[in-house]
Amino acid sequence: MLKKEFQEKFTGFPNYLKSWVKTFTGGLTLFVLLSLLILPFLSQNQNFTHVFLRQFTLAMIFAIFAASWDLLTGISGQISFGHAIFFGIAGYICAYLISYQHYPIWVALIIGALGAVLFGLIIGIPCLRLKGPYLALGTLAFSLVLLKLFLMGSLADIFFGSEGISALPKISDDPVVEYLSLLILMIITFITIIQISKSKFGTILKSIRDDETGADASGINTTRFKVYAFMLSALFAGIAGSCYALFATSVNPTGNFGAVISFYAILMASLGGLTTIRGSALGAFFFVFLEYSLIIAGAELYVNLIFALILILVVRFSEHGILKPILERIKDVWDVLLGR
Amino acid sequence: MGIILEVKNLTKKYGGLTAVNDFSFEIKRGEFIGLIGPNGAGKTTVFNLISGFDKPSSGSIRFDGMDITGSKPYKIVNKGLARTFQLVRSFKYLTLLENISVPSQSHRGKEASKGVGIDAYASSILASVGLVDKARIPPVVLPHGDLRKLQIGKALGTNPELLLLDEPFSGLSHEESQNLTDLILKLHDDGLTIFMTGHVLRELMSLVPRVIAMHQGKFIIDGTPQEVANNKIVLEAYLGGGDSFA
Repeated sequence: MLKKEFQEKFTGFPNYLKSWVKTFTGGLTLFVLLSLLILPFLSQNQNFTHVFLRQFTLAMIFAIFAASWDLLTGISGQISFGHAIFFGIAGYICAYLISYQHYPIWVALIIGALGAVLFGLIIGIPCLRLKGPYLALGTLAFSLVLLKLFLMGSLADIFFGSEGISALPKISDDPVVEYLSLLILMIITFITIIQISKSKFGTILKSIRDDETGADASGINTTRFKVYAFMLSALFAGIAGSCYALFATSVNPTGNFGAVISFYAILMASLGGLTTIRGSALGAFFFVFLEYSLIIAGAELYVNLIFALILILVVRFSEHGILKPILERIKDVWDVLLGR
Repeated sequence: MGIILEVKNLTKKYGGLTAVNDFSFEIKRGEFIGLIGPNGAGKTTVFNLISGFDKPSSGSIRFDGMDITGSKPYKIVNKGLARTFQLVRSFKYLTLLENISVPSQSHRGKEASKGVGIDAYASSILASVGLVDKARIPPVVLPHGDLRKLQIGKALGTNPELLLLDEPFSGLSHEESQNLTDLILKLHDDGLTIFMTGHVLRELMSLVPRVIAMHQGKFIIDGTPQEVANNKIVLEAYLGGGDSFA
């Protein structure tokens, strides 16, 4: 049965792709992806490739991170205020394996992500009894505990203390290769999460979000599915975390486990639009480039303040995020241009 | 034709309040039974205890010979006991078809849908409750009567042998009630054992051949609608409690 469905989907895929591109969002997405693909080759200028382009790479890392959060909170309804846990633990595992065990970069990256999945399981299970704001607090508490643990000077032998691990390699010394690697990872992540969301399994996750008691009454083992949601979300957050460690070439407690990182995930996904998944990319790019602009303008101190204000404004005026309204405006302009 | 549900000395206490008090009864396979009592009698509590949404303080519940006392709701559902809720609930942001596809993915649902696939199975259930033309619509826009039918559809998705309906007629117009009555009778004709609560006797009288009456958590009488309607204690409970049973 499954094989037949898969075969049908596979042979139908080229047609599906063609009809997808013809839709507005499909065409727009393709246009954006193609632009991102061409971008690195537009200039050979050192400043462009080593600084400006790397901002895009950073944005893509955070896009993956934000999308992982949207999968857990927007799709599955499990509010996480401690996503930094998965981000940080993956980064540390990746850093440790490379620096101390001389693992190859990609192997360390993947094992880091798998370590995050394990934490998804470890944290998911106790937190499952909690709902709504209590779950949010539970996850936040976990992340703060972990932060403290890694900061403790007395445990520096095991957890590397406040200095962390530095002198890590990048994914590639060529920023263009680094950029393209992240682009591919981002595309794979988004396709996977969107397909999960659209699948029958995704429907179960959404039912738990919409009415957990109703899902129980429908014979669904909601506990098991919530754990799955935690683990899947942790996987992608871990991929982002490992990539970030390699991007920043170092890991340290505040930089990788800080509570503010958890808030970045919430910020970017909410800005883009909860449950949209694609909105996470929009939110991440918006966030990274806004910060970049503020730093260039010398207003670095105000970054978090401005983000908090933006989040408040979005929640107040466009609570479903900015992706849909923006897409609608673009579509209107497009229709006008085409004379409709 | 065996006994499908056996409840013995079921008791539930919330601190000083005894919501259900030493309640016992049996339901045979294929029966259609009503549970009546004035508001606050404990009907929904009994349902919650049977379906696993609440744990009994004492007593036992056996479904199809298996002890399900204190089991988790989803496990009870997967043994063949499904229920609807007094306050209508639905998966708000899913289409009707998706709403049914959720219970269709329970163990029992998957077994039942094996040959045809989940979408076809869910569609056929939507059809059986008369909602298939609204398959792609989310519940938000539906009238109350349709939402009650959707709930029944969701319960049917788990391929139950016993269906617990908690006040299925409350809030319905006369026409919607008639519609729902036809559906419930049809389900019973098709072999489903149905256990239904209500607090207005008239609705149930014409439908069910057997009624169990309760008041203040206690069992009063188990008999035909006629017998129950003429029972002194039942009359006192309803008239004394200010509830009209006419």
